[in-house]
Amino acid sequence: MATTPTRRRSVTKTHERIAQLGWNRDYHQPVPIYDTRYVFPEKAKDPMKQVMREYLPMQLEKDERVYGGFDAALRAGMPTKADERWLQVMKPLVLILVYAEGAAGRCMSVVMDVVPNEELLNGYHVQFVDEVRHIGMQMNLARWYTKHTPDPAGWHRGQEYLPENLFTRAGINLFSHAFVGDPIAAGFTMMTVIETAFTNVAFVALPDVATRNGDFIQATTYSSVQSDEARHISNGYATMLTVLQKEENIPLIQHDLQQAWWITHAFVDPFVGTIMEYFSTDRSDTENYVTKWDRWIRDDWYRSYVEQLGTMGVDIPPDMFVRARERLVAGLHHKTAPLAFSTWPLQFWKFDPLTEKDFDWFEAQYPGWYDEYGATWEAYAALADPDEGAILLAGFMEGAPPFCWTCMLACVIDEDMCHRTCCDKEGVERTRFYCSPECRWLDETNPGRYTGDRNFFDKHHGKSLSEVILELGLLRADGKTLIGQPHLKKDRMWTIDHIRACDFQIHSPNIVQARELGLPDGNWHSDEDPFGTVQGDGNGFQPVTLYGGGAGQNGDGRVRVEDMARAAVGDTPWVKL
Amino acid sequence: MAGEVRAGERRQRRGDEPERSFQWVVPKGRKASIYEDLTLDTQSSVHRFQKSGYYVSFADGRGTWDDASTGLDVVTWSAFRDPNELWERPYFQQGAQCEREIEGAVKSARSEGLLGDVDPAWVDFLRRDGQIQAFVEHGIWSIATRRSRAALADTLTHGIVLYAAVKQRQAQAFVIEGMDLDEDLGGGFSIEAAKARWLGEPAWQDTRRVVERLGTITDWGELILVCGLVIEPLLGGLVRRELLLRGGLRAADPITPAIVRNAQREGDWWHDFALAFARFCAEDPEHGEANRALIDGWLAAWTPETLRAVDALEPVFAGAPGVDFDRAREAVVTGQQALLAAAGLGEPVAAS
Repeated sequence: MATTPTRRRSVTKTHERIAQLGWNRDYHQPVPIYDTRYVFPEKAKDPMKQVMREYLPMQLEKDERVYGGFDAALRAGMPTKADERWLQVMKPLVLILVYAEGAAGRCMSVVMDVVPNEELLNGYHVQFVDEVRHIGMQMNLARWYTKHTPDPAGWHRGQEYLPENLFTRAGINLFSHAFVGDPIAAGFTMMTVIETAFTNVAFVALPDVATRNGDFIQATTYSSVQSDEARHISNGYATMLTVLQKEENIPLIQHDLQQAWWITHAFVDPFVGTIMEYFSTDRSDTENYVTKWDRWIRDDWYRSYVEQLGTMGVDIPPDMFVRARERLVAGLHHKTAPLAFSTWPLQFWKFDPLTEKDFDWFEAQYPGWYDEYGATWEAYAALADPDEGAILLAGFMEGAPPFCWTCMLACVIDEDMCHRTCCDKEGVERTRFYCSPECRWLDETNPGRYTGDRNFFDKHHGKSLSEVILELGLLRADGKTLIGQPHLKKDRMWTIDHIRACDFQIHSPNIVQARELGLPDGNWHSDEDPFGTVQGDGNGFQPVTLYGGGAGQNGDGRVRVEDMARAAVGDTPWVKL
Repeated sequence: MAGEVRAGERRQRRGDEPERSFQWVVPKGRKASIYEDLTLDTQSSVHRFQKSGYYVSFADGRGTWDDASTGLDVVTWSAFRDPNELWERPYFQQGAQCEREIEGAVKSARSEGLLGDVDPAWVDFLRRDGQIQAFVEHGIWSIATRRSRAALADTLTHGIVLYAAVKQRQAQAFVIEGMDLDEDLGGGFSIEAAKARWLGEPAWQDTRRVVERLGTITDWGELILVCGLVIEPLLGGLVRRELLLRGGLRAADPITPAIVRNAQREGDWWHDFALAFARFCAEDPEHGEANRALIDGWLAAWTPETLRAVDALEPVFAGAPGVDFDRAREAVVTGQQALLAAAGLGEPVAAS
């Protein structure tokens, strides 16, 4: 056996050599399939210096620890010891995060298609390989929960449910922003906002809650994921520094970063805030979601990152960040949670009524919480038994807020809700509601982006609840018991017959609200379209493009930097609607 | 959707607990493998569960995924399986093992004084051309990773990404070998010199032209098939196996064969992947005939230029001891013909 130690190579020198592998093409120039408005400087800097000889053993070691953890968790009896309330909500959470990982990987591919700077490409590619790792680990986590936790119903068809579920479809909407559209804007959404700002919440704070609830395998998996995120954050920063070198990119950065911020906030804050606080049985945490948000997002990201971009010429007004926090303080996730719980028959996981212990924690964390929300939660608990013969959803739907066209979640902040009217392809006006002026701005300035049969309740308007449950396949293997339940008990489970007995018909809040306000039709579902879509402005009909197809200010189909600055304030007179 | 049989129906007939397994997975065999469970349908599409259409689209009307991203068509893209079922864990296990083997070869070469036994003419060859294959692998990497996003099934995207990853690992292994030899054999292995030769040496220019042309491919299906059925068996086989592996073994080179053996082992995976993909498209019950015509067109469009690149490398072989260009050329052409026959495809177009 050789005993001479291998001399350690300098990572910097190795990387310098590897960086020489790129060359300027002479015979054929690369052909991109995506288009960007950004321009690129000659030079960029790779902050990662990742070499496969170091990278592969490092990742293997991390993998071994995670997969070893699964065996350890089984031997330790974790499936039956972990809190059931928490385990239930892992069903939507893990699967939507798997979609997010796939989106992050594909984001790298679209970014690489347009970024010409060879120095950055290796880092992007290593991130894609990381994301393949994350998909495997997290699907393995899903598989482990399916095989070992007490009530796996819902896991077994999770990927089928995901795109059509009332809430997780909004996650697909958000994370698709990371690999659809201008690749650099997509890159900002994923690397600069989702990964730099929000992974600390999703992959650090949430695993902390998991551990408090006895689920240490979730924490093991996501901590390993998070250990890769620092490199992904570096990729985002390197991308930012690269495009910042060209002054003409600055209005685009200002515009795209604000939009990326808002769409991420609009989904992640109510979704993760609800999971973190309403699905934890353990109440030992002295920090609430807003406190964590202040630490990870306001201080560590906005103040330390976004504000510092000001020294490099990026002038982003604080309004949207301030507004997001104000919405959280106004109860964004507290107003979303009761709505989510009331829709339990339509979900693929179970819900647990809040208890006095929960009430005490919420009241201590958010003084005045009980006065505002307590009665709702008591009503929820009172109607959890099928013998009551009534479902909370029936009451909720009467005054339910419309769902936002852009972020696809409910417009729960009354003073923020707004709307606009758009024409369908027959030229008939219809109403789109938005949870906020910012979401309306996103739709107005990105014609063609928000597509499909977007309003869940429009799609099911006029159907009985039991009919929708059957259509979505939300029954357990016995063919009669619902997967979603309003409590965790093994008995007193709701069946499809209980739902039929309630005789409840779905009414889309968007349709109802538009009618009540005297606005044009709020319905955007059509049975005639293969995907149920009413084609209209910016939604499959006259697809107005900001580049490659639209009229453009100069009539050539391309939008210049100054055009984008005007688009950012909604002033796009050259766009042909 | 057409062509799909829900896995759950089969499993329930066998009496398994249906809620204890992923019912959306349609297993290729009797039972779903862990690869299938962890890879399939992690990204929904309008063909897989997204009944309300795409929620986010490109401004030009393309959806989140675009069926027109390839000229190929099949009944069910999600039915494709990597025959070797590579997913993240075995990928990292195998990749790390490759690097350990190479490091071990370097370590023992040094401790046992093996580098002194290497044929001096081979060392001269390595100084000239030993690192140039790194540019070929890197060039393939740069297009593969860009086209991975558009592929219409998770099993395809994962395969293309991992193919890019093995290409980048191979490229870097050749460069690191140059660093090591620079240190042990007294210099002359600079990457700058290798790059200058890649950019200027006439014998390499047809190869460079083909690699640069790969960057113009916009169809991810074409990329898989051109790399798998043309570039790798002809150019990759010629340079890696026939030149660097056989030449290195004859010259008592203790390091280069370790690098190439590992690359070839990864190449075997890609060979199987591309072959399976070719069959999958060519044998599709509805679109097989049209796919075969399209693939034949791609083979006709790429094979002659690739063979010209092969032929242009004869002077490189002439500069390396212990290798025979004619025998090497015959071996790779025969190998490609066997591969195409296995895929049920026509004869490649001979170089003029």
